[in-house]
Amino acid sequence: MTGLTASDLSFSYGGTPILQGWSAEFPAGSTTAMTGRSGHGKSTALYLLGLMLQPAAGEVILDGVPVSGLPDAAKARLRAHHYGFVFQDAALDPTRTVIDNVRETALYRGLHRKAVTTRAHELLDRFDVVVPPHRRPGQISGGQAQRVALCRALLSEPPILLADEPTGNLDAASSRVVMDALRDHAATGATVVVVTHSLEVADACDRRLAL
Amino acid sequence: MSLRRGAMVAREAWSAAFSQPVASTVTVLMIVGMVLTVMLSTGRTVGAERRVLDSIDSAGTRTIQVRADTGAGLTADVLDRIDRIEGIEWAAAFSSAIDVTNTAIPDGTRVPMRFAYGDRFDRLHIPADPPIVGLSAYASPRALAQLGLHEVAGSITTDQGLTYAVSGQLSTPAFLRSFEPVVFVPQTDDRPDAAVSNLIVIAARPHQVSPVADAVLSVLAVEDPSKVTMQTSESLAELRVLVQAQLQGFSRGLVLLTLAISGVLVAVILYGLVMMRRRDFGRRRALGASRNLIVTLLLVQTALLAVTGTALGLVASVVALAAGKDPLPGWDFVAALSVLTVATALASALVPAVVASRREPVRELRVA
Repeated sequence: MTGLTASDLSFSYGGTPILQGWSAEFPAGSTTAMTGRSGHGKSTALYLLGLMLQPAAGEVILDGVPVSGLPDAAKARLRAHHYGFVFQDAALDPTRTVIDNVRETALYRGLHRKAVTTRAHELLDRFDVVVPPHRRPGQISGGQAQRVALCRALLSEPPILLADEPTGNLDAASSRVVMDALRDHAATGATVVVVTHSLEVADACDRRLAL
Repeated sequence: MSLRRGAMVAREAWSAAFSQPVASTVTVLMIVGMVLTVMLSTGRTVGAERRVLDSIDSAGTRTIQVRADTGAGLTADVLDRIDRIEGIEWAAAFSSAIDVTNTAIPDGTRVPMRFAYGDRFDRLHIPADPPIVGLSAYASPRALAQLGLHEVAGSITTDQGLTYAVSGQLSTPAFLRSFEPVVFVPQTDDRPDAAVSNLIVIAARPHQVSPVADAVLSVLAVEDPSKVTMQTSESLAELRVLVQAQLQGFSRGLVLLTLAISGVLVAVILYGLVMMRRRDFGRRRALGASRNLIVTLLLVQTALLAVTGTALGLVASVVALAAGKDPLPGWDFVAALSVLTVATALASALVPAVVASRREPVRELRVA
């Protein structure tokens, strides 16, 4: 299948098993909400799918190709070219401007920042981030920061988009903007996986997966 | 890495350095301190060392002087044989002194004049092609003053009535000061059998004085060796080599010690700065930066800061040395120090850079 597959994944933190033999499919063109109680491994599963953690057993399969056993450099290339990430706390670079944060991944994809500037401004306009682009993350609201993080994730129009509690710090209006953006992105054929505690967000997704 | 990618990485490193003013300033100040310490200690020593060596050199460390009394049979063609000896920087032969006076003042002060043989008198500021070949005289300022020639114009006459045109003023190097007051009349090389009384040979290096002196002695081809004496500054040359070796050994040790201590300090500071930027590196890795890119970014950033710190340190130390009227080390020392400083900073940054690239992105992203 196209999309992302978790095949019999196991993972432990310091000897404590978090996931054991977990399997799931995330088809292309769909949004999937991963829900469940805290500490049950939702974020861990997301980071395993995002090739940021190495499973103790099992395999992550991207478009039919096993990828979790690839060398680190190959996984970094996949993260740069095929993945977009939205982290729970936005994880912006506080020392750089808003526009530089949106353009950050250009370097990792071997593109000049100027080549993606127009796209970065389009995304900031689309998500209504009405702040001077040279302002830094510390000078904008939490909701704006999360939308900047979403712009960064969407900059490369990635086939896989993983979001960890993307609306956790947002009001209802901002949450709707983010979820609309994730659904729109899935509509382009991308695989979108969202970790959330929010029933509204889960309801807004095509599929729901409890962990 | 392509040139385009290299430029992008350099730009990113430069932006990162600018966006972290405190960390960058601390690093630059460390490098400035490193350069200042070396320049104000070893740099000053090297400058003083050069002064000592220049002083020894100016005393004629490398000079070999052969004196031939009348009847010794030393002739100008000895220079042709000396030409074939290696390790010689300069050589010339001079006749016995002949008294001359200013032609316009026949009763004036008598000054010794010598015919000069050789083809490299530019060292004495005598032109290669005198206006009247074999009859043009060149005098030192002291000789000109004694002759009453306040301007470099006129002529001189020997007791036998031979006249020579004074065509210029010469500069007397240290190894010819014993001839003062000096008047030379350069001769062409078509008089190989002309008798000479003084042969001056300058060895190329101080340690070559002894072997060159032996070689010169073997090609003199004189009729009466008992009338020939040779003077060398061999012991002075040996002293020069000894002083140079000791001073250089001391300087090298001091530079290495200073760089080693400063390098460890820079490494500790960089390691601390890397630990402060764990979240930054975690985010970069999560978003697709490879380990190599993280290492390269940190090394390029360090190199940019090291070059800035080195330049500032050099300017500050040169100003400090000049203000204290202390000797300045040469450009070769400054260039070597600059390369060593940047290399030390890069070596110090390597371990922190590798550590930064090896950390798990998820773990670092969770650092508050």
